[in-house]
Amino acid sequence: MKKYWKSQQEKNESPEIKTVKHKPKGNLEQVLDIFEDGTVEAKSNRRDFLKLCGYSLAITTVLSSCENAVQKAIPYLNKPEEITPGIANYYASTYINGSDYASILVKTREGRPIKIEGNNLSPISNGACSARVQASVLSLYDSSRYQHPQIKQEKVSWDEFDKSVSDALEAQKGNQIALLTPTIFSPSTRKAIKLFTAKYPNIKWIQYDTQSASSILKAHKLCFGKEILPDYRFNKANLIVSFDADFLGTWINPAEYIKTYTDTRKLSGTSNKMSRHIQFESRMSLTGSNADERHTIKPSELNLLIAQLYNEILALKGLKKYNASESSQKIKELANDLFKQKSRSLVVSGSHDLNAQIIINAINYELENLDKTIRLDNPLQNHQAIDEDMDQLINDLVSGQVKGLICYHSNPVYNHHKGDQLKKAIEKLAFSLSIHEAPNETSSLMKFVAPDNHYLESWNDSEIKKNSFSLMQPAIHPLFDTRQFQASLLKWSDLETDYHKFIMKNWEETLFPTQTLYTSFKPYWEHTLQEGIFEIKNNSQAKSKFAQVDIQKAFDKLTQKPGTKNIELQVYETIALGNGTSANNPWLQEMPDPISKICWDNYLNISPKQAKEMELENGNMVKLNDKLELPVYILPGQAYNSVSIATGYGREICGKVGAEVGFNTSGFTQNGFSNVKLQKIEGQYDFAMTQTHHSMEGRAIVREANLDEYKKNPKAGNDHKHKYKNAGIYKEPEFPNHHWGLAIDLNACIGCGACTIACQAENNVPIVGKKEVIRAHEMSWIRIDRYFSGDENKPGVVFQPVMCQHCDNAPCENVCPVAATNHSSEGLNQMIYNRCIGTRYCGNNCPYKVRRFNWYDYTQADSIPNNLHDPAGLTSDLSRMVLNPDVTIRAKGVIEKCSMCVQRIQEGKLNAKLKGRKVKDGEIKTACQQTCPSGAILFGDLNDKSSELFKVTSSGRNYHLLEEIHTLPSVSYLTKIRNKKS
Amino acid sequence: MSKLCLFIPIVFLLLTTSPSFCNNPAPQHKDTEHNFLESTKQGERIFKGLVLTKSNLKSCVSCHNLTYSDTLNWNPSAWDIAHSFADKKTSDFNSVINEPLAKVMSQVHDGYQYNEEELNHIKNYLLSLKTHGAEEQKPVVNNLILFLFLGLLITIALIDLFFTKKIKYKFIPILIFFAAFGYQIKMLSEDAMALGRNENYAPDQPIKFSHKVHATDNKIDCRYCHTGVDNSKSAVIPSANVCLNCHSIVREGRNSGKFEINKIHAAVENNKPIEWVRIHKLPDHVFFSHAQHVNVGKRECQECHGEVEQMHIVKQVEDLSMGWCLDCHDKTAVDFNYNNYYSNTFKELHLKLVKEQTDSVRVTDIGGRECARCHY
Repeated sequence: MKKYWKSQQEKNESPEIKTVKHKPKGNLEQVLDIFEDGTVEAKSNRRDFLKLCGYSLAITTVLSSCENAVQKAIPYLNKPEEITPGIANYYASTYINGSDYASILVKTREGRPIKIEGNNLSPISNGACSARVQASVLSLYDSSRYQHPQIKQEKVSWDEFDKSVSDALEAQKGNQIALLTPTIFSPSTRKAIKLFTAKYPNIKWIQYDTQSASSILKAHKLCFGKEILPDYRFNKANLIVSFDADFLGTWINPAEYIKTYTDTRKLSGTSNKMSRHIQFESRMSLTGSNADERHTIKPSELNLLIAQLYNEILALKGLKKYNASESSQKIKELANDLFKQKSRSLVVSGSHDLNAQIIINAINYELENLDKTIRLDNPLQNHQAIDEDMDQLINDLVSGQVKGLICYHSNPVYNHHKGDQLKKAIEKLAFSLSIHEAPNETSSLMKFVAPDNHYLESWNDSEIKKNSFSLMQPAIHPLFDTRQFQASLLKWSDLETDYHKFIMKNWEETLFPTQTLYTSFKPYWEHTLQEGIFEIKNNSQAKSKFAQVDIQKAFDKLTQKPGTKNIELQVYETIALGNGTSANNPWLQEMPDPISKICWDNYLNISPKQAKEMELENGNMVKLNDKLELPVYILPGQAYNSVSIATGYGREICGKVGAEVGFNTSGFTQNGFSNVKLQKIEGQYDFAMTQTHHSMEGRAIVREANLDEYKKNPKAGNDHKHKYKNAGIYKEPEFPNHHWGLAIDLNACIGCGACTIACQAENNVPIVGKKEVIRAHEMSWIRIDRYFSGDENKPGVVFQPVMCQHCDNAPCENVCPVAATNHSSEGLNQMIYNRCIGTRYCGNNCPYKVRRFNWYDYTQADSIPNNLHDPAGLTSDLSRMVLNPDVTIRAKGVIEKCSMCVQRIQEGKLNAKLKGRKVKDGEIKTACQQTCPSGAILFGDLNDKSSELFKVTSSGRNYHLLEEIHTLPSVSYLTKIRNKKS
Repeated sequence: MSKLCLFIPIVFLLLTTSPSFCNNPAPQHKDTEHNFLESTKQGERIFKGLVLTKSNLKSCVSCHNLTYSDTLNWNPSAWDIAHSFADKKTSDFNSVINEPLAKVMSQVHDGYQYNEEELNHIKNYLLSLKTHGAEEQKPVVNNLILFLFLGLLITIALIDLFFTKKIKYKFIPILIFFAAFGYQIKMLSEDAMALGRNENYAPDQPIKFSHKVHATDNKIDCRYCHTGVDNSKSAVIPSANVCLNCHSIVREGRNSGKFEINKIHAAVENNKPIEWVRIHKLPDHVFFSHAQHVNVGKRECQECHGEVEQMHIVKQVEDLSMGWCLDCHDKTAVDFNYNNYYSNTFKELHLKLVKEQTDSVRVTDIGGRECARCHY
C-alpha cells in the first residue's frame, strides 16, 4: 500500500510525540472561561468562582419556581390554500449570483424558505446544488442587509428616494453615466435595462465579471465570428486536457461540468469505460486534484506548452509546423493520445491570454472536436464581460469623463485590481447610485442606495444557455423595505413597476409563440413556473466554420514570452466564497477548503521546495511585494517559484461575520498572473484547520486501483478483506423490515464539499467560529477527508466523505452509560440528545471520529445565557428562521452526529404508509445525496434485493472503513479507480 | 406547584415579592389619586352592586366576572368588555347596556336604566381595568404550607431526639422524622415528575369557543376545522376564515350572544389574528405526527384528547408523558390487513399472523419503542 500523509509535518517528521501548542485547560478553568470576553486573556479568580456559585443558585431558584410559560397558538386569519402547517412546500426557482447559476427547488415551511434543493428537471444543473447555492438561503436572513433606501446614509421612503433619483438623473442628462452590472443573462432584465437606457441615452451599460472569460469570448469572435462561450460537453470526451482551467471548481459553469465530467468516470456493473483527464496547472486546484495525470507548471510556462502541443498535432496531421522550440516527450505523447481520440477529446484552457485561446480553438479544430465535444449552437451566456470595457470605464471615471455611476451587484472597489483608483474617483462623482443587497466597499461610497431584494424574494428569468430558460419566483415576501433592481429600473423609466407582470408580458411576446403544447398563455406560464424551466428544442446541426485567423501571429506571441525566474502570483477564487460576495455567510466561511482543509482564512500557497529554500513552515508570515503581510500554507503540488492566494477574504465593509476575515488581495490582478517579491518575516499564524487530527496511520482507509488493474480484476486494490464472521461478543442485530445504508463512490466524489453545507442546512448544524475550529471543536456531521500520496511536489489526491457509519456492531453504543445512543431495528445508530449526559465516552470510542460534542450552547437551546457561544449571530430571531423545524437543536453538553437524515426516512415511510404501499427505492434521499453534483452518494435499503444500493454494494469495489475492527458499518465505499496510462 | 422543589430562598422570594398574597382585589392606585368621588371608584361601586339601585336588579359583577373561573361563564368578563368598549363612545355604551338589540342580552338586561353619568363612571372603571390588566390567579399555597409544616415537624423531632429529649420513647421522634421526611420526598418527586406536564390544564381562551356546542349540539365533524389531521404532523387550529364559513351567517350564539362571535369579525376586520392559548404541547425534542396516528393508525381523537366534544372549556386530559405514549404503543395492535406498507415490509410477522402463530402484532413489535421514531 502507498504511504499516505495528511500534512507536510506528518510526512517529514517522525511519528513521535509532537509538541503541544495549546496548553490544555482543566475542567474548572474551562468553566470559568465564560467570564472572559473572548479577546482579553483575563485570569479568573476566586470572586469569579463565587459569582458563578451565586449565579447558579439564582438560576436554579428561578428555573424551578417558574410555572410553564403560556404558549400561544396563532393560526392564519385567512389561510393560503397551499399552506398546511407541518407540511413543506417546494417552489421551483433559479439561483443567480453574478455568474453562478442553478435551477433549484426552494423548500418552505409555514412560508419560510429553509432549504435549497436541486431541480431534477434542469438539464444544466441536473438536480444538484453547489455549496454556495446551499448556503444562499442563510444570506436571506442576514441582518446586515440594507433594510431601507438611503440617501447619503439617511433613511428615506421609496417615494422620496425615487423622486430624488429621477431629479438627479434629469439633472445629469448632459453628462455621461455608466451602469455597471455583472453579466446579465436574464432576457427580461436585459429588456428592462434597454428601456432604461432608452429613456436616459446618456447612460452606458457595462458588464464586469470578476472571473472573466473575456479572452475566450474574443478568441471565438476571431475564430468563429461570434463572441460566445461554447458549450463544452465533457460527457462526450474520452480524453480531457485542461490547461489551468479549474472547471470542477470555479471555471465558467462548474455546476454543469461536474455532472458531465463524472458521468464519464463512474464505473457501474457492466461498463468499465472511463475518460482520462490530464491537467496542467501551477496551483493544486480541485480539478487538478481529480486529474489522472497532473503536471505542475508555472503560469508563464503555459503558453509555450499550448503552442508546442498545437505544433505536434499539426505534425501528426502532416501539416506544416510553426516555429517553436522542441517539445518535450510528454507533449509529444499527449499529442499522440489526443490524435488517437480525435473528435472524442476536449482541450480547454483557463488562460486569460487571447492568443492562447486562439491556439486552443485551433487545437480543438484540428482534433475535429468542434460540434462534437464543443458545440457553438447553444452557447453559454453567464460570462459576457470584456475586460477592456471595465478598464476603459475606470480610466473614464478617473479622468472625469464619466460623471455618474450606477452600480448593481458588483463590488469593483474591492475586487478589481485598480480598486484604489476607482474608490477615489467614486468619491468625487456628482451622481452615484448603488443597488446592492448588503453594504460593501463600493456601495458604502455611494450617495444613493436602492436596496435590492435577495433572490428568494425576487421575480426573474434567465437564459443560462441559449434556448435554455428558467424562472425565478419569490418564496417569501421581502423581509425588509427593499425593492428588486429590475423594478427600480422600471420605476425610474416611468413604467409600470410590477416586474412580475413585465416578465409575463415579455414571455408572452417572445417565448410563448415558440411552443405548440399550450394554446393560451396562462396555463403555459403556470406550467413553466411550476417546473421552473423551459427549453426551446433546437435540432439544427449547424456546422461550425473555422475562420482564417492569423494563427502565425498568435503563435509567435505565445512562443516569444520567455519563461522568467520571478516568483509568479495567481489570485484564485475558492469553492466556498468565490469573489467574496457571500463573505458574510458563516456556513461558507466555516466550510474548509477542499485541498488545504483550512476555513475562516486565506493564505499564500507556496510549493514545498520553495518552503524548504526559504525555511518556511505552515503559518509562518511572509511579506508580499513589501506591502501585504500574510501567512503561508505549504501546498503540495504547487509549482516551484509560483505562489497563489485566494480572493474573497479581507473584506472591510461587510457584515459582522465576514469583515476582517483573512487578507485583502486588492492590487493583484485576478485575471492572469503577476510577478511578486517574497520575503520571510517574523511571526506565526494559527490556521483553523479541520484535518490535523485525522490520520490514515498506515491502514487501508482509502482504497484505489488503476483502470487496467480493475479491468482484469474488479476487486483490485480492495484486497484487505478480513474473513471473520460474527467475531463480536454481542449478538448481531437483525433487521426485519428495512436496513438503511449508504454507498459512497470514491470515483465519483470530487471533494467539492456541497454535501457538508447541505447537511448543515438540513440538520441545523451550528457554526463554532475560527477560535473553536482551532481547538478542533467544529460540528460538521459530514466531513471530507483529503489524503495526499506520493511525491510532495507531484502528489496524488483522494477525497473521502466520512459521516457516521451506522455500525451494526457499534463501539459507541456499548460504552454509553445511559443508553443515549443505541441501535434501531432499521440499522440506524440512534442518538438521543435528551438522554445524553455528555460523558463523551462514545466520541472517544468511535473509530471514525464522527461524533461531535457541544462544548457550548451554539443554538440557544439552553436557557442559561452564559452558555451561549454564537460567533456568527445565528441565534437572532431573524437567523433562526432558517432552522429546520423537524430537527431538534442541540443544547450544551450533548453529543451529536449524522442521523442518516432520519427525519427524511420517517417522512418517506409516512408517505408510503399514507399511500398504503412499500417504500420505493430512490424515494428517500438524504440531504447530502440530494445535493451531490456528481451523484457519488447513494441511499437505500440493504434488505431490498432489487434496490440500486444492494447492486452497488455487491460489486467488487465495495468495502467498509476499518473492516478489520469488525464494526459492520451500514455505510460502504467503492474503491477509487484512476485512469493512468499504464 | 413546582415551587416545592425548593429551599428557603423561594419562600422568601414569594413572601416578599408576590403581590398576589395581598387580599385586595381592587386595582391599586397611587395615593394622590385616592379620592372618594373619583369616577373609577364610583364606577367600581356600581359595577359591584355596592350602590343602592332603584330596583332589585342584579349587579354587573354577578354576570361579568372580574376573576378567572374554571366553570364556563358565557357572559363576557369585565376585562373582555373593557377591551371591546375602550374606543367606543358613551352613547354606544348606553345603547348596549340600557337598550340592547341582541336577543340574549335584551332578556338579561331588561330593566336596566343607568344615566349618562353612571355610564361614564362604569366606563371609566372598565378603562382602568384594561390598563391595570386582568385579575391574576392566586397561587395555591396549601402544598407549600404543608411542606414547610413537615419541615418544622422534622426539626422539632430532631431537636427533641438529640437535645431536649422530652419524649420518653425514642422511637416516636424517629417515626415522626421518617414519616415527615418520607412524605416530603413523595411530594417533591411527584412535583418533579409533573414538571413540564400540563394534565388538566384548561386555560381561558380569547374567545369562549365551546367544542360541545359545535361538535355535539351542531354535529360538526372534527375534520371540518382540524384539516391537517390526516396529512400533516399538525392537526391545525382553524384559521379565522374557516370560522367565517358559518359565522358570516350565524352572527348570534345561543349562549354567548353576539359578543364572542363579533371577536372573529373584529379579528378579520382589524387584520389581527386570534391568539389562542396552546393546551396540548409536546417538548421541542419530540416529533409527533397526527397523520401517522389518525390516518395510518386509525386512532380516534378521543383516545388522546378525551371527550373534547363534551367540553365547553378544553382541558388536557392525559399527561402526554413518554410513559403514556409507550404504554399505548405496547398495547395497540397494528392492522396489517388495512395497510399494505406493513404487510409488504414486515413479511415474517405478516406470515405469522396469517398462520395464526400470533394473535396480533403490537406497535412495539415493529419498532414503536425505538428512540429515533420520535426523537431526532
